[in-house]
Amino acid sequence: MSTALLDDQHRENSLEGQWAVETHGLTKRFGDNVAVNGVELLVPRGCAFGYLGPNGAGKTTLIRVLLGLTRADAGTMSLLGHSVPRHRDVALARVGAIVDEPRFHGHLTGRQNLRILAAAREPAAKHRIDASLERVGMMHRADDRVSKYSMGMRQRLGVAACLLGDPQLLILDEPMNGLDPAGMHEMRDMIQNLVSEGRTVMLSSHLLDEVERTCDAVAIVDNGKVIRQGPISELLAGASVEVSVECATPERAQTVLAATALGAHVDVEATGLSIHLPSGTGRDAIAEINRLLVEDGIPVYRLQEIQVSLESWFLQVTSRLGESS
Amino acid sequence: MTAPSSATTATRVAAPSSDGSRDRRGSWIPTGGMIATRIMELRKRRGLMAALIVVNIGIPAIFLLVRLIMHAAAPKTYGPAGGYDVFSSLAAVVMYVFGFIVAATLGCTAGSVDLTEGMFRHLVITGRSRLALYFARIPAGLAIIVPLVAVGFTIVCAVCVFAAPTKLYYQGVNVPPSLTLTGFENWAAQHPKEAICGLPYGNVQVSGNGNGKKISVNVPCFIDQKGNVVIPPGTSGFKNISTATLKADAIVIAKQNYSAYSKVFLYPSNKLMIETGLWIELEAAIGFIVGLGLASLMGQRTVPVVLMIVLEIVLTPIFSRNAINHLINVQRGLVGLATAHLEPGGLPSAFGGGNGPGGPPPLVPESTTVAVCVVIGWVVVWTALGAWRMSKRDA
Repeated sequence: MSTALLDDQHRENSLEGQWAVETHGLTKRFGDNVAVNGVELLVPRGCAFGYLGPNGAGKTTLIRVLLGLTRADAGTMSLLGHSVPRHRDVALARVGAIVDEPRFHGHLTGRQNLRILAAAREPAAKHRIDASLERVGMMHRADDRVSKYSMGMRQRLGVAACLLGDPQLLILDEPMNGLDPAGMHEMRDMIQNLVSEGRTVMLSSHLLDEVERTCDAVAIVDNGKVIRQGPISELLAGASVEVSVECATPERAQTVLAATALGAHVDVEATGLSIHLPSGTGRDAIAEINRLLVEDGIPVYRLQEIQVSLESWFLQVTSRLGESS
Repeated sequence: MTAPSSATTATRVAAPSSDGSRDRRGSWIPTGGMIATRIMELRKRRGLMAALIVVNIGIPAIFLLVRLIMHAAAPKTYGPAGGYDVFSSLAAVVMYVFGFIVAATLGCTAGSVDLTEGMFRHLVITGRSRLALYFARIPAGLAIIVPLVAVGFTIVCAVCVFAAPTKLYYQGVNVPPSLTLTGFENWAAQHPKEAICGLPYGNVQVSGNGNGKKISVNVPCFIDQKGNVVIPPGTSGFKNISTATLKADAIVIAKQNYSAYSKVFLYPSNKLMIETGLWIELEAAIGFIVGLGLASLMGQRTVPVVLMIVLEIVLTPIFSRNAINHLINVQRGLVGLATAHLEPGGLPSAFGGGNGPGGPPPLVPESTTVAVCVVIGWVVVWTALGAWRMSKRDA
């Protein structure tokens, strides 16, 4: 994504209030530790947005700052076009969120907990309790005490609590935590359904595979800073290309390719080569590899471009950061 | 960044309600629904509710029930279950002190559980004013503690009135109740031997109508358990004393005893019961509000509960019974002493207070105005501290 495009889009969307979440220079410190470091984040409306980062990267802290659970030390932010914390009450009226592990009053039932939360929202919220419970599949356990719930059930109840306000924006912090594979699948479906209704879902996670399956766009955060953000397809397009080559004499093939200007990083494997081409390399480079090997008399049995996953891209990005530091 | 295509469906989610009049979530005033659900949350705490019921209702009720049964089984051995003495003991000690402690425990619970049980975060995310979240707890807690205290106190009043003794025994002497000074003197004149042998007296000048008069009779005698005058064998008794002298001395003794006699009743008056009920409710309300503020400030329950108990049953009695010149204003600033100063006259002193009409003189002098100001100060300051901490706390 070019800076110019981002700026144009930003200007346009700010005018129309199209960003569900918008932060500029957002900073939060805990003593000497800068948990959120000048974050510039733009979350488009109506999509599933992943906020990715390793443990301790500052994902939860950013969410807590956005929701007014803790104060920012610097920067500006807005939710659904409303400046926060100045218009926090208006902004949060249509926001639902789970932060950290969802916890409730254990001596009350799920329904009673939702009644407490609905009472703090607008009057119509209490009429959404049953629908919310139904939607997360908790209707049959709604009148059991929360102390008897499993982690996954509390997670679902947390989502039900989010839905009480008929939110335009849902912020879910590690929503897959504690869920079994079936639960993760249901959560994924639910998020996609919410997005299909026009809601925005921003979820933080370190489960890259889940985010790739669920989200349309992501931001990568490390050490409190957003280092990349944009639609997943655009981000992956900028990743390095991996090509797997199955050939007769891998060592000789490596020598041939090393003498070219492809700039490829070539690893020798048992049955061939694994070639990493720089990001932005066109598909012609793959044909060029084939031509070079064949012209040198090396039989090529198979040549395949490996689809870059979000996980491998994430590792590339973070490893580059590690190298640069 | 380009918004994904699904953004085009955004219109399917309803826009925020324009009916701002029904959704003032930025206001610090809690809604009725918030208060109602907060009552539900507290009421569903079975252990806490059981403790509240046991202390406010159970202990007085069981105590009175046992006395009723014992009196019914052996009326000559065990006195009536009710009466003024029982009322004043239960009201000024049990309900006053323990009512404060359980109310404070409820306040500490209400002030901390959202935080410790993880609900505070959910509530803040609703966008509701944190002050409204705090203030919702005050009427909710009072809606629980005030009726509980009222029920317990009503039981005490009912038993003390309806199971009161039919005869008034003052210093072991059967005396008609509620006599005026003249009436008491007339009774003494008609029953001089009972007055002289039963009522305590000192051979001193008596104020009022008895000025300058001293008691001349000196007969070793006493009143037995059946109310009869007993003169030890071998003594002359009243044989050599004229009836006029006996009556005159009995009247002087009556004057000396009238102040103490006037505070003894068969059962508490309606005025005393109402005043005492309001006083106990005030103490419970203060305990709840201070506990709420302290727990909100500290963010936990256990330590504030311990501090409140120490305040009520250790610090307040110590400072009440010992006037320390250098700390006199600190002593006056204790809420326990201030409420004790507001105690209705006619009750035994709570912590050395009780400067109401007819009450004992307080150890630590304090005007009613100052006492009221101290009470208001405690309520306002702790509420402000609790609300401030809640509005600033990281959720």
